[in-house]
Amino acid sequence: MKIRTISLILRYISIIFISFHFLHIFSIPSFGQSEEDCFACHNGNIREKLNSSIHGEIGLSCLDCHSDLRGIKEFPHLEKLKPVACETCHSEVVKEWAKSIHSRAPSMGLGLVKCSDCHGDHDVRSKKDPESKVYPLNLPKTCERCHLETVKTPRGFDFIRQYEGSIHFRALEKAGLTLSANCSHCHGSHDILPTEDPESKTSRRKIIHTCGQCHVGIERDYLEGVHGKDYIKGIKDVPVCTDCHQEHNILSPLDSRSSVYTTKVAGVCSRCHDDQAIARQYGLLTGRFKTYAESYHGTASRYGDIRVANCASCHGYHDIRPSSDPKSSIHPANIPQTCGRCHPGASRRFAEGKVHLLPDQVETPKYKTSYVVKKIYIILIATIISIFVLFIAADLGHRLWRRESHG
Amino acid sequence: MDKSPYIDDDEVFIRMNLTERIQHFILIITFFTLIITGLPLFFYEFKFFRWFIPSGRIFLIRGLIHRAAAVLMIGNLIWHLLYTAFHPRGRENFKEMLPRSKDFRDAFEQFMYNVGITRFLYRRGIGRKFFDRHPYWLFEKPPLYGRYNFIEKFEYWSLGWGSFIMIFTGFFMWNVELSLRLFPLWVHDIFIIIHGYEAILAFLAIIIWHMYNVHFNPENFPMSRVWLNGKITGRELRLLHPLEYQKIAEKRRLKAETKQNSLGKNCA
Repeated sequence: MKIRTISLILRYISIIFISFHFLHIFSIPSFGQSEEDCFACHNGNIREKLNSSIHGEIGLSCLDCHSDLRGIKEFPHLEKLKPVACETCHSEVVKEWAKSIHSRAPSMGLGLVKCSDCHGDHDVRSKKDPESKVYPLNLPKTCERCHLETVKTPRGFDFIRQYEGSIHFRALEKAGLTLSANCSHCHGSHDILPTEDPESKTSRRKIIHTCGQCHVGIERDYLEGVHGKDYIKGIKDVPVCTDCHQEHNILSPLDSRSSVYTTKVAGVCSRCHDDQAIARQYGLLTGRFKTYAESYHGTASRYGDIRVANCASCHGYHDIRPSSDPKSSIHPANIPQTCGRCHPGASRRFAEGKVHLLPDQVETPKYKTSYVVKKIYIILIATIISIFVLFIAADLGHRLWRRESHG
Repeated sequence: MDKSPYIDDDEVFIRMNLTERIQHFILIITFFTLIITGLPLFFYEFKFFRWFIPSGRIFLIRGLIHRAAAVLMIGNLIWHLLYTAFHPRGRENFKEMLPRSKDFRDAFEQFMYNVGITRFLYRRGIGRKFFDRHPYWLFEKPPLYGRYNFIEKFEYWSLGWGSFIMIFTGFFMWNVELSLRLFPLWVHDIFIIIHGYEAILAFLAIIIWHMYNVHFNPENFPMSRVWLNGKITGRELRLLHPLEYQKIAEKRRLKAETKQNSLGKNCA
């Protein structure tokens, strides 16, 4: 009797177990959940995605992210799930993101930019994974998904597309140089702010350091130069990296399309150094471009000769110093060496005269002689040509008059 | 000038011999090559020259052509100097070319004659007393010229002086390092200024003065052919170079007379 009762109970239990098993096959979950329960319905490629992701790798299950499923006993769950709260684990970066322009997008009438928009959802991968959407080589495409099509920034899509022509992008694309600057190197990743924001990595205040992350030596040189010293003082008009090199379309100085190509340098420098307002405010000497253009260097450069000196050839570029600085390339003592780079055997004679000759800016009278000679020549030419014209007029007049009176 | 029985109006004289014509021709070629390849540096702001020299490579070629033309011009000048020094005709030309006080007077008289203001005043009866006493100031007749008039002499010596300046300054512009070893920068700057402005002066002088005198002057229009065939007729010689005409006529007269005398002697 007792044995029969026990076997009966066992039989019931086994039937229940077997029926539960069948129920499971027909996807009617009842209580308790496992990955299997989820994949019973979500039988798309979510499983593969999750398995290949970093989250799958470390063994996270669905419920670890979709935490609102935890309490639910009955499946299928009906309502849409809540957005995944990444901050549960990634609290630091989400805090950064909360301050970024992406978190504020709805206030500008755009959709919220969520973690998954950049990182992917189930297939989220480490940024070191070449398959990752935020892997350095893939990041530009990820950002461009919005920034080339839907989200128009104040400077337009073309401005963003310019990046694809830059040397930074070329290094990424052609050489696969992952160290080359992509969007996030300059703009930041989670903490992206508009350039106008002084806290932005691309703001005038911070851009020097942003570029200096990679171009360390150049940042150091710049900060030692006259521009860098004024930059440290917080002078807003001082040129930063992007003023000379441009922004998205940065090119090698050897590229003829670059803004700092040898024939274009003078134009870049004179934007400020020939600007009357800036010159007056900071006491700069003007007429630099005009006097350069008049010289053989300037004229030849204008015609596309790339061997002649531009501003940077003599003044240097990142660490430009005033001529009063003994370390300056244009300090009188250093001029033979500076000029000697192109003119072998240059002596101190090169320093005895003014390269940018504007007579009212020159103290040494003999340095102005060429200017005086020029004036004399203009007077001489005017006089001689006037005499020619007078003689010709008299001759022609006489002949015409004589012909008339004779005819 | 009266006609001389010794010179026929149709007789042909050689004003420029072949050597002189070749020298003149080389000068034309090199001069305009130098101008064309040099002007873009002076008028660097002109859009036209950017079109003319579109790339840095062509700019370099421009420099090479400029210097090649300069060398050719200097060679031509040396040839001319040797010709002047050693060839009898060259020496004779040189003597004729030497500036004299007459040339300055000629220029003044020619100008006053062309203007004709004093003749006009005289006819109106103004200053009649003065002009009667000093008929020179009426400039009734144009001055008489020899082989070379003041215009030609002025052009020749301008060219000589200009060539010297251009070669001197150009040489140091060509050899910047040498120049700046010898001179300070401010002196080198003067070389550059002089080279440019002297070129402009020469260019204008040729375009205005020389082109008028040999092309557009109604006397020669459309062109004097002397530079091509070197020939000048007896009539042209009589009208344009009367003193030369006189000289030749006088020479022939003397020659004829001595011949006659010797003939007479022989007969006696």
